[in-house]
Amino acid sequence: MLSGLKGLGVTLRGALRPKVTTEYPKEHLPIDERFMGFPALTWDSNRVEPYCTGCMVCVRYCPTQCMSAQMKDNDKFVEGDSHRKKIIESFEINLSRCILCGICVDVCNFDAIEMSHEHERSERLRNANRVDLPELLEMGKKYQAEVRWKQSKPSPASPNEKAEIKAVSEAKKASEADSEATNKQSEAPDSGEDAA
Amino acid sequence: MTDPVATQIEDKFTYQASSEPGTVDMMVNMGPQHPATHGVFRMELRVDGEQIQDVVPHIGYLHRGSEKLCEHELYSQIITLFDRFDYVSNFNNELVIVSAVEKLMGVEPPPRAELIRIIMCEFNRIASHLLFYGTFAIDMGAITPVLYNFRDREKIQSLFESVSGARMMHNYFRVGGVKEDVKDDFTSRALALCDELERGVDETDKLLTENEIFVERTTGIGVISGEDALDWGLSGPVLRASGVPYDVRVDEPYSRYSELDFGIPVGSAGDCWDRFYLRILEARESLSIIRQAMALLEPGDTMAQIRRIARPPAGEVYAHCENPRGDLGVYIVSDGGERPYRLKVRPPSFCNLQALKDLTVGHYIADAVVILGTLDIVLGEVDR
Amino acid sequence: MSFIEVVFAIAGLFGLFTGLAVAVLSLTWMERKTLARIQQRAGPSVVGPHGLLQPVADAMKLATKEDMIPNYADKLLFWMAPIFVAVPAFMIWIAIPFGDNLAVRVLDLGLLYLVAISGIGVVGLLMGGWASSSRYSMLGGLRAAAQLVSYEIPIVIVILSIAVLVQSLSLDAVIGGNTISIGDDTRDLPGQGAIPFAFIMPMGLLIFLIAGLAELGRTPFDIHHAESEVVGGPFVEYSGAHWAVFFLAEYLNTFVISALIVILFFGGWSWPAPPESLFGNDLSSTATNLIGGAWLMIKTYLVAIGIFWIRGTYPRLRIDQLMAFAWQVLIPLSFVNLVLIAIVLFYDWPLWVMTAVSLPIILGVGIAVQRRRGARGRPQTVRILRRSAGEIGVPMPPASTPVTDQVQAGG
Repeated sequence: MLSGLKGLGVTLRGALRPKVTTEYPKEHLPIDERFMGFPALTWDSNRVEPYCTGCMVCVRYCPTQCMSAQMKDNDKFVEGDSHRKKIIESFEINLSRCILCGICVDVCNFDAIEMSHEHERSERLRNANRVDLPELLEMGKKYQAEVRWKQSKPSPASPNEKAEIKAVSEAKKASEADSEATNKQSEAPDSGEDAA
Repeated sequence: MTDPVATQIEDKFTYQASSEPGTVDMMVNMGPQHPATHGVFRMELRVDGEQIQDVVPHIGYLHRGSEKLCEHELYSQIITLFDRFDYVSNFNNELVIVSAVEKLMGVEPPPRAELIRIIMCEFNRIASHLLFYGTFAIDMGAITPVLYNFRDREKIQSLFESVSGARMMHNYFRVGGVKEDVKDDFTSRALALCDELERGVDETDKLLTENEIFVERTTGIGVISGEDALDWGLSGPVLRASGVPYDVRVDEPYSRYSELDFGIPVGSAGDCWDRFYLRILEARESLSIIRQAMALLEPGDTMAQIRRIARPPAGEVYAHCENPRGDLGVYIVSDGGERPYRLKVRPPSFCNLQALKDLTVGHYIADAVVILGTLDIVLGEVDR
Repeated sequence: MSFIEVVFAIAGLFGLFTGLAVAVLSLTWMERKTLARIQQRAGPSVVGPHGLLQPVADAMKLATKEDMIPNYADKLLFWMAPIFVAVPAFMIWIAIPFGDNLAVRVLDLGLLYLVAISGIGVVGLLMGGWASSSRYSMLGGLRAAAQLVSYEIPIVIVILSIAVLVQSLSLDAVIGGNTISIGDDTRDLPGQGAIPFAFIMPMGLLIFLIAGLAELGRTPFDIHHAESEVVGGPFVEYSGAHWAVFFLAEYLNTFVISALIVILFFGGWSWPAPPESLFGNDLSSTATNLIGGAWLMIKTYLVAIGIFWIRGTYPRLRIDQLMAFAWQVLIPLSFVNLVLIAIVLFYDWPLWVMTAVSLPIILGVGIAVQRRRGARGRPQTVRILRRSAGEIGVPMPPASTPVTDQVQAGG
């Protein structure tokens, strides 16, 4: 009976402390920046197109086979605006099947897929959690804005940029050749290559 | 008032005359939907009054064929399946599979990664034990400890979230290291958490351990001797409570456990109280392990230089680690491919459950619940 | 009985019924809030301010739910069981005094009436348990029967010792005191206006509290509807309105036990300050009764919160331990209490002798229970083995000497 009274003391002390719960739909706990929500596709705002080239590596490594993707030739590459020869045509993730393991992010070579902070989804229909490319990109844009996302390494130059750089360097070279002495000429091709 | 379904089930038992003339034993079907079976476990109890005469456990309601699935998955994908075996101690499960594959490949993870793994595993051990105290108290009718313990468990999970990005199914350990390094504020955060957890465990200790009703309910209940425990293949706290000082962390030190000094609580009564109190002490020892590992933590790599797709050589390997529930082992047969040829898990919950009949027969229905509680099974692991 | 009296009785019954319904709703809210407070949660907070309307919403939900009767149930008994539980719970309140001479029916045998009525409820539990045709409910019903019958005894004996103290079975006498005359000797027996009986009979209070909890089937004695064992006991198969009636009865009983503790041991409407002493005798009787009723209610709710607090702390006993506790500890103790008060009154000793004798007995029994059943009496069987001390596992290399030095020394 006497050590039981100690328990009453513990609960009394508990009653005097503030509550630790939050009222969920009204309040949300902060999400850690590393939090892995549903996967989303990132948007390359420089090239105005998705990062994803549809290389299928995430599709192959997904433990639950919840994704499917299809690639197409990139029109912007033909026009010279983008460095991506191929671009994603359609991408579908069944978020009901996704187990949020993050393997797709690990294996992606192009920073094209990220685990977003989106984690609350409920739909009335069984297949309503299948999300397609536009929706994935929307999620991705939201996530990118949220965490001020940066790609891990800069993307290579597009054909147009290459041409531009080449033109610039050539113009520079020409002007240098005009104005400078001949001993500077040996360094000019190097700097041109670095820029490319 | 004959109940055809019930009679049908009862026929499975040979009716044994009860001690009093003119009465028969009653069949009570506990589970799969019963609040005290911790999931979808079913016990058919044959009771004389309230005294249990026979127990027939039924498992398999949560069978997902995980071992077979493993044969069709890459090694990196198998880690996600191991997260889901014992779903309250995910890091410990991940450690087993990655250390098995590392052993097979002969890869040595960087020391920093090993320490991060130990810290995560010990935090997860505490989280798992906290859940045990809570659910065990609920089994005995005390409703408050579970909420106190969940409060502390949530803090651990928030730490996990900041490290691995997930609160439960982490997929953080990789063959050859861990996914990414911990954040800068990790050390301060973890040490502060250690202090909070110490207070939380003390609170449970004060609330339950010495309580007369609690002691009355647990002393002398479900006693198993050390020899019997070994014969049944029990492991973990259930075995140590019977006085067998076996812990994989000290008997076959894996990872960097050999550098750490910690105590192993060992009981001698082998009853439910020992099994409970041992886990309280174990949580405190885990805290000491975490503090030691924090002191050893030095900057460095967290991933060994290996191929992204693990392709171990042909061969066999058995690796085991000390889970919160016992000795979790994994046996891999590799044919040199990207996927295991065969993968077998030795789940501690399943093995501990084997002793259920020995433990419960002769006790009351209320004790069956308490005994099942102290075995601390996780059905995800029992059924796989 | 005159017409006016009948009208007053009916009005009183309606008032009582309404008041009790409100009390039950408030108690459920209060229990949830108290437990939430203890467990550092928020508790009901959505329906109404601070979730005050939550019990109303729950009641509406239960009333509109489908009322299922199992196929193999004994339908008549199944249907009647909740009534058998709920009606006595209401009937007890007829005798409860809310003020001086203020009850629906002022009974001279009030204490006897309480004891008699409170024993009926167990029939309903047993009926419900049997009629549901479920193993769990049957076990629960049998547990309830064993438990309630056993714990009735200490309650009766404690009530008896109170009756001995006030020389009356009337609840008014318990609170307001009694005057008896034996031959030429007229003496005033104490009421509780000055000193509540809790201070005279602490042992009686403790026994009554424990046995009362057992009568209610509340933690640590919620054995007959233990969720983790018999999944709700007699109520397993009940749903909707029938279940709601059980629920209502449970909370009414909680309220009744709290009120009885207040009336028997904490002076009911007259303590800590009798309305007359507070405002003098010039107060109207309505105001006096209101103040008295407020005292009673405040104290009752405080006791109820105490019961919820206990619920938030303790685990539950097992059925055999529960019975052993009743027969080995509580019943002997209650008889000791009865004999003690009888002796004190017979020899005309001052009443503090009773307190002085009771407190050491309580302490002694408490220590004995702890020695026998608590962790103090339990051998400490768990010890910590350390690898650094060479007690377990492979031995550790000494921390001070690095491994390379050892190799050199060995070579």
